Amino acid sequence: MNESIVQTDNLYFSFKAGQPILNGINMQVPKGSIYGFLGPNGAGKTTTLRLLLGLLSNHKGGIKIFGHHLAHHRIDILKRLGSLVEQPSLYLHLTGYENLEIYRLVYGCKKQRINEVLEIVGLTTALNKKTKQYSLGMKQRLAIAIALLPQPEFLILDEPTNGLDPNGIIETRELIKRLNKEFGTTVLVSSHILAEVEKMATHVGIIHKGNMLFQGTLKELQLMQSSKSALEIETNDNNRAAALLNDVAELSQTDTTIIIPYKSKSQSAAINRRLVEGGLEVYALHPQHNDLEQLFMDITSNN
Amino acid sequence: MNILASFKTELIKLKRSAALWVVVLGAGFVPFIFLLSYLIKPVSNIKRLGNNPWAAHVGELWQAFSIFLLPMFIILICSLVLQIEYKNNTWKQVYASPQSYANIFFSKLGGIITMILLLFVLFNVFALGAAIIPNLFYKGFKFLATTFNWQKFMVLNIRLFISTLGIIAFQYWLSMRFKNFIVPIGIGLACLIATLIAMRWEHIFKIPYAHPFLTMQFGEVKKGFLQNHEWNSIGYFIVFTALGFLDMRLRKERG
Repeated sequence: MNESIVQTDNLYFSFKAGQPILNGINMQVPKGSIYGFLGPNGAGKTTTLRLLLGLLSNHKGGIKIFGHHLAHHRIDILKRLGSLVEQPSLYLHLTGYENLEIYRLVYGCKKQRINEVLEIVGLTTALNKKTKQYSLGMKQRLAIAIALLPQPEFLILDEPTNGLDPNGIIETRELIKRLNKEFGTTVLVSSHILAEVEKMATHVGIIHKGNMLFQGTLKELQLMQSSKSALEIETNDNNRAAALLNDVAELSQTDTTIIIPYKSKSQSAAINRRLVEGGLEVYALHPQHNDLEQLFMDITSNN
Repeated sequence: MNILASFKTELIKLKRSAALWVVVLGAGFVPFIFLLSYLIKPVSNIKRLGNNPWAAHVGELWQAFSIFLLPMFIILICSLVLQIEYKNNTWKQVYASPQSYANIFFSKLGGIITMILLLFVLFNVFALGAAIIPNLFYKGFKFLATTFNWQKFMVLNIRLFISTLGIIAFQYWLSMRFKNFIVPIGIGLACLIATLIAMRWEHIFKIPYAHPFLTMQFGEVKKGFLQNHEWNSIGYFIVFTALGFLDMRLRKERG
């Protein structure tokens, strides 16, 4: 996956001089990926997405989508992508069908496409009801249906599960995965909840205070996570235990426990065997996972 | 994407909108008052309208409508049409769709002009109704017995519409510029009231908000088709439309 759908080059943006919202973002969204764009509220996620859609101008740095500069090929690029930024953009005095019809005309799709997108998002009832009567989940689905009208190669979704109930969150997540798998749609999805991104993303970008703190595959992030996890050991004689494990790098000892870097379950089993065979009584041996959530907090709070 | 498709989307957005209700109710208000007056006091009205009732009826209705209500409804319609996007938070989706800025700007202006034209059509239909209905009950009215001068009527309508163009373009610009609907409505009504106060000023023909009333006041054109203030209205329309488009085009933040 070398080809990038989105590539930003040192993206800088500020509303007021001297107060940058984005500070040199180099984002790379690989083709075919589900790119989870993570960051706490106010980190600059929405600003980045708005820049990608041409909703903000006067930035510094380049934006390339589908290999073309956004500034010069805005309309050609927008024809090939679908978007949902912040809350659903719907005309509440119109019916669900009329909302779709507006964007069907804009994208120049056939009428049949309306039924297709409704099927994809699972919204087949209440089409002739005004959208102001829709639940938030239905509004969200309709907004995603609008984003899917042009059969987009690339989908930009800004916090699509915001405000949804657990069922809605699962459905949206499954939908994103399905679009990616069945239609090969590249999805850029922003969120401030890591656990949510972890369940669907192939790639992750972590942004904080306008800086990209991490960008890579989910596996790379998980690797980083395991390197920060520890195995906590408690025995009847911690000094002897420490001596037995003297070949383990980065061993540290507190009053009651010994802490070593956690690698795997088999590593825990091997250490337990060594301690027992060494005549020690092992009271406790448990991995302290620095879960992704904690890692996310660490990454963002260290900066 | 062509501008016709963009324009069609604007027409869909206007369905069941508050702007459409303003058009329908606004067009009916003055004719309804006249209808009531004709039905309640037929004798004095028959006498007042005289032998050429159509000219008097149409003239009085437009006179009553054009001085304040017509500009006010234009102010409201411009604001309400733009509020459809602001209120629903849909500008971002509009700008993130593959439409040129010119298509977005001019198709919406087309939507507003369609609403104003509908206001004219409905006002005329209601005006005709306000004359014909009382005549069915009171034979003394001579509306059905006299001929209606369609040509004069159409010329008056076209000139009145032209006289509103300056207001339309200025209010469209304001309504697009400001998210808060109070701002364009406040500025528009302040300008309109100031215009009414200054109606005797020798330069009043340069003020867009006075143009519809001036068209009614001066009556028929002696030379050519349009009066000076109507040419001014066309000029203002071109200038304010260009400024509004530039303003939208150069904006740093959209949606």
